[in-house]
Amino acid sequence: MAKQKYETVIGLETHIQLGTASKAFCGDDARFGGEPNTHISTVSLGHPGTLPVLNRKQIDYALRLSVALGAEVNLTNYFDRKNYFYTDLPKGYQITQDRCPISVGGFVPILLSDGTVKKVRLHHIHMEEDAGKSVHDVFEMHSGVDLNRAGVPLVEVVSEPDLRSAEEVDLFMNALRRLVRWLEISDGNMEQGSMRCDCNVSIRPQGSEELFARCEVKNMNSMRFARRAIEFETQRQIDIVESGGRVRQQTLQFDKNTGSTSPLRDKEDAHDYRYFPDPDLPPVVISAEELARVKAEMPALPWELYERFTTKFGLSAYDATILTEEKTIAFLFLDLTEKHQDYKACANLIINQVRPHLAENETNAVPDFPVQRWAELLDLVKENKVSNSVAKQKLFPAIWEKSDTPVAKLAEKMNLLQDSDADFLADLAEEILAKYPDKVAAYRKGKKGLLGFFMGELMKASKGKANPQEGNAVLREKLGG
Amino acid sequence: MLTVPPKYTTLTQIRTDLTAGKTTLVALTEYYLQRISETEELNIYLEVYAEEALAKAADLDKKFKENPASVGKMYGAVISIKDVLCYANHKVTGGSKILEGFESLFSATAIERCLAEDALLIGRVNCDEFGMGSATENPHYGVTRNAADTNRVPGGSSGGSAAAVQADTCLVSLGSDTGGSVRQPAAFCGVYGLKPTYGRISRYGLLAYASSFDQIGILAHSPQDAALFLEIMAGQDEYDATSSSKAVPAYSQTPPFSGKAKIAYFDTAVNHASIDPAVRNATLQTIEKYRAAGHVVVSVDFAYLDYIIPAYYVLTTAEASSNLSRYDGVRYGRRSPEAQTVDEMYRLSRTEGFGKEVKRRIMLGTFVLSAGYYDAYYTKAQKVRRLIQQRTFEILEEYDFILMPVAPSPAWKIGEKNTDPVAAYLADIFTVQANMTGIPAMAFPVGETEEGLPIGLQLMGRKFGEAELLSFVSNGDF
Repeated sequence: MAKQKYETVIGLETHIQLGTASKAFCGDDARFGGEPNTHISTVSLGHPGTLPVLNRKQIDYALRLSVALGAEVNLTNYFDRKNYFYTDLPKGYQITQDRCPISVGGFVPILLSDGTVKKVRLHHIHMEEDAGKSVHDVFEMHSGVDLNRAGVPLVEVVSEPDLRSAEEVDLFMNALRRLVRWLEISDGNMEQGSMRCDCNVSIRPQGSEELFARCEVKNMNSMRFARRAIEFETQRQIDIVESGGRVRQQTLQFDKNTGSTSPLRDKEDAHDYRYFPDPDLPPVVISAEELARVKAEMPALPWELYERFTTKFGLSAYDATILTEEKTIAFLFLDLTEKHQDYKACANLIINQVRPHLAENETNAVPDFPVQRWAELLDLVKENKVSNSVAKQKLFPAIWEKSDTPVAKLAEKMNLLQDSDADFLADLAEEILAKYPDKVAAYRKGKKGLLGFFMGELMKASKGKANPQEGNAVLREKLGG
Repeated sequence: MLTVPPKYTTLTQIRTDLTAGKTTLVALTEYYLQRISETEELNIYLEVYAEEALAKAADLDKKFKENPASVGKMYGAVISIKDVLCYANHKVTGGSKILEGFESLFSATAIERCLAEDALLIGRVNCDEFGMGSATENPHYGVTRNAADTNRVPGGSSGGSAAAVQADTCLVSLGSDTGGSVRQPAAFCGVYGLKPTYGRISRYGLLAYASSFDQIGILAHSPQDAALFLEIMAGQDEYDATSSSKAVPAYSQTPPFSGKAKIAYFDTAVNHASIDPAVRNATLQTIEKYRAAGHVVVSVDFAYLDYIIPAYYVLTTAEASSNLSRYDGVRYGRRSPEAQTVDEMYRLSRTEGFGKEVKRRIMLGTFVLSAGYYDAYYTKAQKVRRLIQQRTFEILEEYDFILMPVAPSPAWKIGEKNTDPVAAYLADIFTVQANMTGIPAMAFPVGETEEGLPIGLQLMGRKFGEAELLSFVSNGDF
């Protein structure tokens, strides 16, 4: 009951590992995994005398994300040092962007369950390097440090406090994950830590504009945990306020075993990170040409396509959602609609056949045959030359094998072209009815459900080539007589 | 003998003798090793690469004998390196106990380039801890002494390098200069000291003190050798993003300075309250000498002289506090055996590993960067730095060089400035301008005090104007 009195206000800081081959400031392998401390060098270990050198690829990736989210790019931006001591932070500081990040503003559009689009505003996007990992459960008396991850490039997407529920957080994270995959800048894999978020949660009375003290829940690496943490935290804060207390600004950690949050540190002992510009790295200068190129190469974005699919193509929200989950699928669909204009039929083919096929074969690779063949297949169905089920079960897989052959020819070769010759069907129907006199009698006494049985027999006898509508009509005529 | 006339003052002389068969690199190496042991009481070397140097010298002699054209430009150059330069598989400690026993896995780009030209490394020399100091009174490895007067300091922080050249224990020594650390000891020891333009020589493999000020420098008996070493070491390096892509001129082939130079100096510097009369006189005499040779020497206004030191110490300590954070006992270097917890590991390792001056600067730097003080100190100091840069570049648009004393006084007595760090900081007043602005500067000997202490002056030039600077200093004896 108390819950309705309050509104939850959430801002997210989402860390996304960029999928560059090498680390942000040295040539080490940046991939996930590997035996501990194998993706390292004197630079990522922070050895005396080593210096960071910018991997320019991360600028390109961060630019793509900034442009896609409509953020304003700082054509000159620079790196700062964030100073703190931690065993998995080799230099004693993290290279990040504090005062002048790569971009500011922009928004992530999320589709709410009521069908409306909410634009979650962004404060800024900045680049930084990841830290290593400490392990506390491997050695009996010591902790271990694995620095494979140290120096892997990240972007941090910092939102305004525009989110109002765990559901919205879920939608936001999903939208962001889909986007980074769409842009091919990250695998967005939360299990492997490619995406993690810190949630700033506060509550306030419904309708109030005031912002209350917020608590930051650190390092959520699963949507499920983020959801649970926010729900727990909302309730915890409501309970404090309801019992006359005041929420203190704190940094919290979420315990996935108990489903609760607990303090990591108070505002009073918050770190003073002593940010200052990193003197080892010259300012990052992005040319107008570079920015123009990124804009020109920007693919149509998922929310733009969603809009197009639901309005211009008249697809359902459900279909449009599935079609815009992944770029490969979305663009196969778009290609197909260029060649076959029954959009719903195109959507069905992509959703029900192409997508499962790609998933089964564990590949997102665009098939190396022209989408033309699928258009031909849809044409055949539309012209009643093959039945839907034949198209789906026989021809669709066959195309994958023999993509050189036009589908009409393939169907002919496979003897799958639908027979709608009335005499042929009539002959078949009579043969079948003669075979089952009891059932014919039962039908005529009113057991109309037997039509399906006869239909099945007819299809069997025609080896699936009978046009179902015509077959149906012929059977009814003969039975009805 | 602690001081001897140098056996050779240029690599050219050495090469002439090598070519004529009058000496070999092995013989030369033996000579320098002999000098090192004769001058042991100066406490210059932290490590002598005796055996490997002799072995390498023999190899190089053989290579030279087989084909004189096959050896590099630095065959014959026996050099020492300041203990802040990385040399693969050799110890480097930054003059600190926190890196006791640490061996570098790679060589500094500057060293790499010298080795590629067949230079011979003879040893690692003492310095102020992490380059922080101006006396080479190292709290862990002891005081290095000035060969001209063993009761006096050799200057610092590259005091070991300056004394190594002064005492003729090597031909050239590589040092580093963040606020005068090559030029001031050069002046105290009566040798040449070049601090190139910021970014001219890669900093990769130089233990960082203050990254936006640090520059590897050269201490030598002659400007000719400084020119050759610069030529070899300078140039862009893919491992240092701040290294300049500017083409490297053939400094060693620069013709002698011809024509008349326009030289600026600051009255406020020459008549500064802190200046020793001997240094002042030497400066005035040099001005007269230049004028007599037809150069134009003019006093110009420079209103920022007294702001240089405060701004410099705010900025360098800020950078240092961050640069030295990596020495934490986690991955390498000293980890206190007493530590039981992570916090203790940090606190004890750093408390035991760093000396007093380094701790002082880390604390200063931490303070000026902390929330609430950042703008008052760091931001303000950056503004002062920009003003100093603007004015300095303005002067150098009109003038070829700026002439300055290197230090207000000749070498002081050991222990003399230990009790008053601010007084020691103020002694950097004439050298830090070049580091604040990134311009090249070269210290050169101009004479001695009555007690026989060397006096040095410096000329600062335009950014990347090392060629002009070197050629002018080369004909300095008008």
